[in-house]
Amino acid sequence: MKFNLLEIDLSSGEKKSVDVTEEVRQYVGGRGLGAKFLWDQVLEGTDPLSPSNILYFGLGPITGFLGSVTNVSALSPLTLLRGQSNLNGHFGIELIYAGYNAGVLLKGKADRPVYIYIKNDDVEIRDASHLWGRYNPDHQETLRKELRKELDDQNFRIASIGPAGEHLVRNASIDHDFFHHAARLGMGAVMGSKNVKTIAVKGTNAPGYQKPDLLYPLLLKWVKEGWEERIGRRRWGHSVTLPRRYYETREGVKNKQLGWDPTCDLSNPLKLEQGAKLWSDACNLCHVGCKVPYMRRKPPFAPTTGEIRHDNAGGWNANVLLPGYDPQSYLSTYLDTLGLDSEDVSGVVAWMMECYEKGLMTKEDLDGIELTWGNIEAICALVKKIAFRDGIGDPLAEGLKLAPDQIQKSERKYAMTHKGAAITSYEPRGSLSDAIGLALNPVGELHGGRGDPVRIMFDSLTTCSFLRHELPAVFGSLDNWGRSMLEGACGWRVSDKEWRNLMLRVSIMERCLCIREGYIPARDDILPDRFFNETLYGKYGEPKALSRGKFLEARKKTYLAFGLNEDGIPTRKILRGLDMDFVIPTLEKKLGKTLE
Amino acid sequence: MKKVEKGGWVGPKKRSKYVRAIENKKGWGVENLPTPEGLALIEARWDLCIGCGLCEIACSMYHHGVINRELSRIRIFRYLLPAPKSVQNVCTQCSEKERECEKACPVNPPVIHYDTATFHMVVDEKRCLGSKCAKCLKACPAEIPRFYPPERNYAMVCDLCERDGARRPQCVEICPSFALEFMGPQFPQHLQRIHPDDKADCMAERLHPLPRNKPQITPEELFGWKTKPIK
Repeated sequence: MKFNLLEIDLSSGEKKSVDVTEEVRQYVGGRGLGAKFLWDQVLEGTDPLSPSNILYFGLGPITGFLGSVTNVSALSPLTLLRGQSNLNGHFGIELIYAGYNAGVLLKGKADRPVYIYIKNDDVEIRDASHLWGRYNPDHQETLRKELRKELDDQNFRIASIGPAGEHLVRNASIDHDFFHHAARLGMGAVMGSKNVKTIAVKGTNAPGYQKPDLLYPLLLKWVKEGWEERIGRRRWGHSVTLPRRYYETREGVKNKQLGWDPTCDLSNPLKLEQGAKLWSDACNLCHVGCKVPYMRRKPPFAPTTGEIRHDNAGGWNANVLLPGYDPQSYLSTYLDTLGLDSEDVSGVVAWMMECYEKGLMTKEDLDGIELTWGNIEAICALVKKIAFRDGIGDPLAEGLKLAPDQIQKSERKYAMTHKGAAITSYEPRGSLSDAIGLALNPVGELHGGRGDPVRIMFDSLTTCSFLRHELPAVFGSLDNWGRSMLEGACGWRVSDKEWRNLMLRVSIMERCLCIREGYIPARDDILPDRFFNETLYGKYGEPKALSRGKFLEARKKTYLAFGLNEDGIPTRKILRGLDMDFVIPTLEKKLGKTLE
Repeated sequence: MKKVEKGGWVGPKKRSKYVRAIENKKGWGVENLPTPEGLALIEARWDLCIGCGLCEIACSMYHHGVINRELSRIRIFRYLLPAPKSVQNVCTQCSEKERECEKACPVNPPVIHYDTATFHMVVDEKRCLGSKCAKCLKACPAEIPRFYPPERNYAMVCDLCERDGARRPQCVEICPSFALEFMGPQFPQHLQRIHPDDKADCMAERLHPLPRNKPQITPEELFGWKTKPIK
């Protein structure tokens, strides 16, 4: 099977389709291939918001069979390391039907605001001055109406940025269909720095899967076996995980100062479902359909439509002491319209709130905003300032890595961050595996556990990893599923060993790229001091603490399990075995020592 | 003495045939429902559609043996209202007076016509003029017949997956949200033959005060800020 990559140079306006089959065979696609492209095409230490950075909308060989994830890769303006973020929905599958089954690579910078129009072989860079500066679903709806000429033209799938991305806010998101976001690590800012407002895709080509007779029965097996266990998520969406996480002390409260607050009890998924649920919505070829849009009509924060899930509504909960789903859903939708990452911005706001509470920041410093805990009006005002980089919003828009240096009165120690990305949804003291999962992601905190080779493989195959625990129950193991899917889709016969090598290669490529950009595992894979020094108390007074010794011990073991040495660095033997000798000189130069 | 193991109590090995029948049953259960005789159609319940697109794949696999949603006779249209909503678009096997596609066909006898022996629409592939004509598509209020030039340049409409008299609609069997039903006609089909855009408009009424391009009341309106909302 041939893999085509659509390469667009925005500076010169050149567009070409490149055959990347060999790279896909080695680095699978999505996150792994994105890391390889960044290694090859972007120089070390490039400014992420400069035209030299690339933006890769990555797909993998089995995109579209378990949700169609698009993995967006670039150097991150937020952490200044490697950046990547996933969006699900139907964007990826539309690119495949358009004939670009290895994704789209954007280079350079357009001289004026543009949008990219892709319909099969027809790729155009068009003027977007009438869309520039407008809020998220509004300009998408305008564009959709504009593009519609006949019946075939109405299913354009759109990925776009809001005002925040245009103002280069370092935690801006890329929005697809308003309910799917590649939000983390500032991918929207990179898109905005290239002056690209929107990518609109429509495809009608045959995707050309090699063995549909093998693929289709696998799909049927997955859909029809054990569906009773999975289908519950369609009823609840992901709002249901929040209360459980509160009771387990795994959800941050009051910027991680508390283990429990009475506001935690107000998040009631039953009320949300019965009072506000509209219907369910699924990603491509997924029978679960865990997107649950709701419509709130009950004052005060109404009418509002939107969606709640543990990760995207992120920190607009007890972390800033907001009670229940009402304000949370309102804020989450408001940030989506602005094109901001809810999770990261809520971390910034929680940090400011703590500084305000401790008297470091005053009302005057915050442009007259009274930023007390749980004050939703103040939060809205501050968020709007961040999105438009207005007043105090300007330094805050730099994110938690850079802002503490720019705001003299603030304190860095109150910023709950990991490699520069805010930790908002997770409370690592509640579970050691959560803590390890958070800390060991080489790109920064991304919804926990994303540094695991299995998760990196999912991001590279670009399938949804929510169902990774259910797949082995149907297919025996993840390997069985992955290998047979690869054979069906691309015709590759992947042996057991080869599959393990693929998994190791994508995860080690990811880590090597991060090391090149200045990540040192033993130094950076750590959590803020607050998590080790302060003890929390759960609802019934049970103490929760994280011991630094235990954490470091577990970290060492996990490095070994990931195929690294005890310091989290890949060994020379492993790199040789994976045909990755080309990274060795750079790694040795960067780490200042020879690899073992 | 019953044996207790780690995984909990293990039941008696010998079970009644009814219990075994339930236990051995695989799938959704839709395929075990009785299918209608004679006049029948696939009815779409668009409020239940989750827009996964499994029906499209099932259709193209059954008819053409490939995975390609463009070759499917049932289509999913996805809208942003601004909540995402998907609706299906599938032929309702209209009765004679309502059959606009057949009336519009310029070829005599019509290429697209209802077969009274098999109770579904039939297209004579060889005589069809292809996507350049497409009069059936324009005549159909729901724009259902579709073409896939150059390989399949003829109108494709639902044939209820009829093969040798047996009808097993694959889209109905795979639909994970029971949003498709294989049933006899209950009221005139033109009442079900709705354009996807109209279906979306209908669903959008559930979001009543909100227009398509605005997902919520803005903070400016909510808190009475003096600044005007930026468009």
